[in-house]
Amino acid sequence: MILTKKQRRVEWVFAIIMILLSLLFLFPVVWMIANSFKPDAAITADMNSVRAFIPPAPSGNFFDNYLSIITNTSFLRYMGNTLLYAAALIVLSVIVNGLAGYALAKIDFPFRERWLLIIMMLMIVPTETIITIHFLFIAKMGLLNTVVGYILPMIVNPFNIFLFRQVFISLPDDVWEAAQLDHCSAIKYFFTMVLPMSKTVVATVSVFTFLSVWNDYLWPSLVFTSSDLLTAQIGLNSITANVNTTMGMTLALITMVTIPVIIIYSLFSKQIVEGVVSTGSKEG
Amino acid sequence: MSFFGPALVLLTIFLFLPMILTLIFSFTDYFALNPDLTHFTGLGNYISIFKDEMFLKAFINTVKFVIIIVPLQGGGALALALLINRATYCKKYFKVAFFVPVVMSLAVVSTLWMQIYSPEGILNTLLGKVGIAPQPFIHGANQALPAIAIMSSWQGMGYQMIIFLGGLQAINPGLYEAAEMDHASAWKKFKDITLPELKPLCVFVFITITIGAFKMIVQPMVMTGGGPSHSTYTLVYDIYETGTVNWEIGLASTMAIVFIAFVVVLTVIQTILTRDKEDKEEKNDTYKKAKAR
Repeated sequence: MILTKKQRRVEWVFAIIMILLSLLFLFPVVWMIANSFKPDAAITADMNSVRAFIPPAPSGNFFDNYLSIITNTSFLRYMGNTLLYAAALIVLSVIVNGLAGYALAKIDFPFRERWLLIIMMLMIVPTETIITIHFLFIAKMGLLNTVVGYILPMIVNPFNIFLFRQVFISLPDDVWEAAQLDHCSAIKYFFTMVLPMSKTVVATVSVFTFLSVWNDYLWPSLVFTSSDLLTAQIGLNSITANVNTTMGMTLALITMVTIPVIIIYSLFSKQIVEGVVSTGSKEG
Repeated sequence: MSFFGPALVLLTIFLFLPMILTLIFSFTDYFALNPDLTHFTGLGNYISIFKDEMFLKAFINTVKFVIIIVPLQGGGALALALLINRATYCKKYFKVAFFVPVVMSLAVVSTLWMQIYSPEGILNTLLGKVGIAPQPFIHGANQALPAIAIMSSWQGMGYQMIIFLGGLQAINPGLYEAAEMDHASAWKKFKDITLPELKPLCVFVFITITIGAFKMIVQPMVMTGGGPSHSTYTLVYDIYETGTVNWEIGLASTMAIVFIAFVVVLTVIQTILTRDKEDKEEKNDTYKKAKAR
């Protein structure tokens, strides 16, 4: 589109108004990051001026809040825990949901169409309502406060099964026929051919699994009581509840929890945006 | 079938069985600390929860929350999408900027806004600059729920904005070109082309926000503990406390069933409302016919 000089000026004015709007929208985030580098006295003192939104000049104690979190709390350990849980869940959830999705797409078994319908209906059920029963089960199995107890109910996910099925159904059948001639077993074929051929959906499911583990609050708060096993979100809550935690430390903490998510989003923004848009277009 | 096996086992233990048990328990007075004394109580629980003041309060709070957040978040998302779609410069920056809160977790956002909403916090300082007296926000029984709703819609808006942007880009540009030849005003183009084209997406977005809002629990858990004077105590919070704190699994199950029924009804409404594609095409035809004339 070719713009005249006047039109271009109008567009720039519009863009500048939008930039101001976005800054207003983001003021909590800007404030969070800027003040995570300040001692509490400076946070309060700066509150009344524009300096509230500007980080302090870099000096020897620029990272004090972050350092005191790393040395005085177990927060790094909680972040590490969460990364491990997420990694385990990604592997399990790709295998279990992927196999199920493949079965629903390509393998003929009794009531296959009926199962697909049931899986789609299960996507509606809000997990918040059966969390009590999960808690009861895990307690009865003696798995409270264990990693297994935390991971077990989260592996199977009707939404992921459905996602895998939708992708696998369009895989060409002749590859499988050729593989059979080579005496390739179905399970070997799945791991060496199907998954590598479907990198995008594997990435999407992995990213969404990571985000759901990293951001989950309700379920880990029920399962974990021991401070050694806590996830980042629960650890965050227990640290901020401590009277020794300053406001600056709290802001540094929540900045730290957000960093891995920002990395994931910037690496996989394409898959995520496509995933988000497709939820809309699928239903609409 | 062996491929489906692992998923089937887990689905049975963690979805089918819990759902069946929830339904069965909802007709009993199952108390987890003393399971031997369980009786079948018929519809007793269903009658008693609707007489239970706390449940009714939680129900009303949840409905209030939904009423505030749905227009705020859905309307906000649509407005942002329209503005970004119109922009020529810095488009990418705008998309990222308004999406940033979405990537933050509920616990993080709640912790951050506790500081922002604090009596001597940054928001009260900013309001003071424009001459508004300090507000209690989450510490006042009247303001706590709206304050949490504003925060939640701020956090979620970017997600629906992306959905709307996808929808806007899918609209056939020919429709706008036809309207431009007719010298249609911007408002007329919005009303006659954009809105009807986006209608199925709007229904989807508004229902998703509604269902999401009905499940709200983490924000009051982190920020207010359901207070002050239970003004931020929600349905799911009540289910959670009744089940895992008081161990009254029977009662909690009844609440869960009522809640699931609600969500299912909303989903059915969504399916019906988004199904009238023929209706939409008809409107397009009338528009084109009107153009032809």
